[in-house]
Amino acid sequence: MGEPVAGRPSGGKRTEPGAGPNRTGGQTGPLVVACVRIVDLRPHVDPLTGRITRDPAGLGLPAPDAAALEHALRIGEAWSGRVVVAAAGPSPAPGGTPDAVLGELAALGATVVHLAEAGPAVHGRDRDMAETALRHPGTERPAATDSGALWELTADEGALARRIVNALSPFGVPAAVLCGDRSPDRGTGALPGFLAHELGAAQALGAVAVAPGDGHLLVDRRLDGGWRERLRVPCPAVCSVEGGGVRLRRATLPALLAAGPTAVHPAAPVRGGTVDGAREGSGPGPVTLRILGPPRPYRPRTRIVAPPADPDPRIRLLELTGALEAHDPPTVLGPIGAPEAADALVDFLVRHGYLDAPLPGAPARAGAP
Amino acid sequence: MTVRAWRGISFAERMATVDFRVGARAHITVDAEICRSCTTTACVTACPADLFAPTADGGILFNYEECFECGTCYMVCNREGAITWTYPDGGQGVVFHHG
Amino acid sequence: MSGATEFDAVVVGAGPAGSAAAIALARAGRSVVLVERGPFPGSKNVYGGVVYGRILDQIVPAWWEEVPVERWIVRRSTMMMTGTQSLSVDYRSQAWADRPYNGMTTVRSRFDRWLAGKATDAGARLVTSTVATGLVRDASGRICGVHTDRGDGDLRARVVVACDGVNSFLAKEAGLLPPAEASHHTLGVKEVLDLPRSVIDERFGLTGDEGTDIEILGCTRGIPGGGFLYTNADTVSVGVVLSLPHLAAAGVRPEELIADLKEHPSIAPYLRGATLREYAAHLIPEGGYDAMPTLATDGMLVAGDAAAMTLAAGIWLEGVNFAIGSGLAAGRAVDRAIGAGDCSAAGLASYRADLEAQFVLADHKRFRRAPSLILSERVQQRYPGFLCDMAEELFTVTNPTPKPGGLRATRIAAARHGVTLRALAADTLRALRVFG
Repeated sequence: MGEPVAGRPSGGKRTEPGAGPNRTGGQTGPLVVACVRIVDLRPHVDPLTGRITRDPAGLGLPAPDAAALEHALRIGEAWSGRVVVAAAGPSPAPGGTPDAVLGELAALGATVVHLAEAGPAVHGRDRDMAETALRHPGTERPAATDSGALWELTADEGALARRIVNALSPFGVPAAVLCGDRSPDRGTGALPGFLAHELGAAQALGAVAVAPGDGHLLVDRRLDGGWRERLRVPCPAVCSVEGGGVRLRRATLPALLAAGPTAVHPAAPVRGGTVDGAREGSGPGPVTLRILGPPRPYRPRTRIVAPPADPDPRIRLLELTGALEAHDPPTVLGPIGAPEAADALVDFLVRHGYLDAPLPGAPARAGAP
Repeated sequence: MTVRAWRGISFAERMATVDFRVGARAHITVDAEICRSCTTTACVTACPADLFAPTADGGILFNYEECFECGTCYMVCNREGAITWTYPDGGQGVVFHHG
Repeated sequence: MSGATEFDAVVVGAGPAGSAAAIALARAGRSVVLVERGPFPGSKNVYGGVVYGRILDQIVPAWWEEVPVERWIVRRSTMMMTGTQSLSVDYRSQAWADRPYNGMTTVRSRFDRWLAGKATDAGARLVTSTVATGLVRDASGRICGVHTDRGDGDLRARVVVACDGVNSFLAKEAGLLPPAEASHHTLGVKEVLDLPRSVIDERFGLTGDEGTDIEILGCTRGIPGGGFLYTNADTVSVGVVLSLPHLAAAGVRPEELIADLKEHPSIAPYLRGATLREYAAHLIPEGGYDAMPTLATDGMLVAGDAAAMTLAAGIWLEGVNFAIGSGLAAGRAVDRAIGAGDCSAAGLASYRADLEAQFVLADHKRFRRAPSLILSERVQQRYPGFLCDMAEELFTVTNPTPKPGGLRATRIAAARHGVTLRALAADTLRALRVFG
């Protein structure tokens, strides 16, 4: 328990030294990036054929992505940095829902870079092919360039990571990148790893909470038994976060009215090969780790009862099952409130020797240590 | 909860077909003190989402998460002020895809 | 609040009424913001049957080429049923299968989005996921905008058009609607069921884009209301509409009544093997003309369901078209009032005059007595069984007993259901007066 499983950048096959936490290329403070994907939150799956129908009306931010964005905004505020949202999703149609989602993002005060998915092809044959290929590796993949972009988005998260880093290059090198830890749209959860690799950044995945530090992030993650580990992740860092914990703030009305569709930047086209600027400098420092003990649940020890000693197996059986013994009649406590019910339970446990009597003066329901 | 016969689909399964985006704020509140003097408890059977349950002490327990936002509960309620009903926060609540 | 931008109009609710009002205003060159509390227009909306699209002529020429239609209604059936019988009046017309069409089935999440798109195309500003929580009034008490639940969220406008639906909290706050009047509302509950397109075509006798609409009386265990079944492209919608006070008094759960209807021998074969796609519920304002609120006050108009503009007159069950018609009229009236520089109730009075002159209020006025007739005890509880039994007496061949003949069959059935010939004659006269 408590192995620091996350931390070092994965592989780093082309990682070069550089990019310390304070060298984020920012003109006005460090750059904080949230990577989100606008998807149909409730796609319909045909129970017979498994065919998936996506409804443009259902488009929205998945809960983990919304949490990532909220964390990014909070970190950006704490660091007085700039926040950029890399939003993958269908091309906005005039008056359509993607527009509304992107407009809402732009109104939150972040710069929105939109990585458009393929347009109509997304819902056509190529999408089916892409999905078939995903389910059955080795089958034909869609060939058209548009659906190539789609393929990137649905399957090859390495390519998507390159595309995101490329799209971010005009804004400088990010100090922190936050992603959701899963997507309802066939995401594999591998994107943050690829991003960390592309950026030469440290990574911590599956975070419960992320807090900004000075040149690092403090990342809480779940361990077994209600424990947490807290990672001190040096910047540049990539974190993926769970969907719970925080709720995405809502844009103010004036911001929303001011942010038209024009507030969204389309992503720059992909330039081949490596990404400029991202992997300069020395890699991130080591990730340090602290294990945080939880308030442990109380588990009373087993009470050992001596086995019956009678030579007659029937008597032993009767003794074991207590079949002929007189029992306390069931107690009906009636509808009572939770504290009274808890007291009644504790009293019962004390009466029957499962618990020591509560300390005199202590409230009865604090009987469990 | 009302006891009902099996009619092809369970109530939970029925409600699972609906898209609810649950907000942090409860948009329904019930004043159980007022409900204790109510003999009809019309909300319990009339609510199409079955959000209201009578408690043993005569009060009403309510849920707000799977609300259709129809307004039946406060319309059929005959006790002034027992049910306070507003809309959920913007963007939250029920989303009909086949309305 | 003081720095808030002022619009010519703020329209609350991007349903058919709100979008129509925003279209009329934006096309007249007025600045208009359309506030919708759902994540997209139509996300809170449910309808129960058919959209009659001719009113769209005023918005989009050749609207049928682009409207998100499921099927064009060519067959309308009115069915009266008891537990084991049913009697239908079934009308089919191929004239309805071609332009300009008559009625269509659609999906509100698509239809309402399409119509709101027309408003944004015309220049209206659509703001979704935003609840209008109350009215902003100026020092003199005149309505001059709405509060919303977003930060810094006051919207100021010369006129507020409240298209915020059947529960309209804005109309209530303005004192135009009573807080809760159960007797003027019905609850509609609906199941959308998956069924392959070819199966729908075969079972309902349809080809291509043709659709059927069946309205049903007598399927609600005596609770005033009715049932419906209509076809979409590859789903069918089935549901019941129930009078609220009677539903509350009966203590029956609404989904039980849908289950009853789905098990009826006349309905079950249509739905065999269908699986539930979505369950929905919504209130319907069915008070008719006499329950309508005052439509205009200083700085505010009410349209659509908020103004109780659904025609629930038995053989006519319409609402979306009335919402669009009233929204368009509201938009035009606001434009005129702003042009004349008078947004008081008097300045907005042309709204009501406009509605009286066209179908929206004319139809409601003509059929103002229909809701009470349709929801009356005899029509709801006695006539379905009476008519079914009369048909059974007529069509059952009881050789060697001779046939009863029409009058005798009527007498037998009437006696069985406690319908006096006098009451029957009175109701026939009343129906002639109501619908004549």
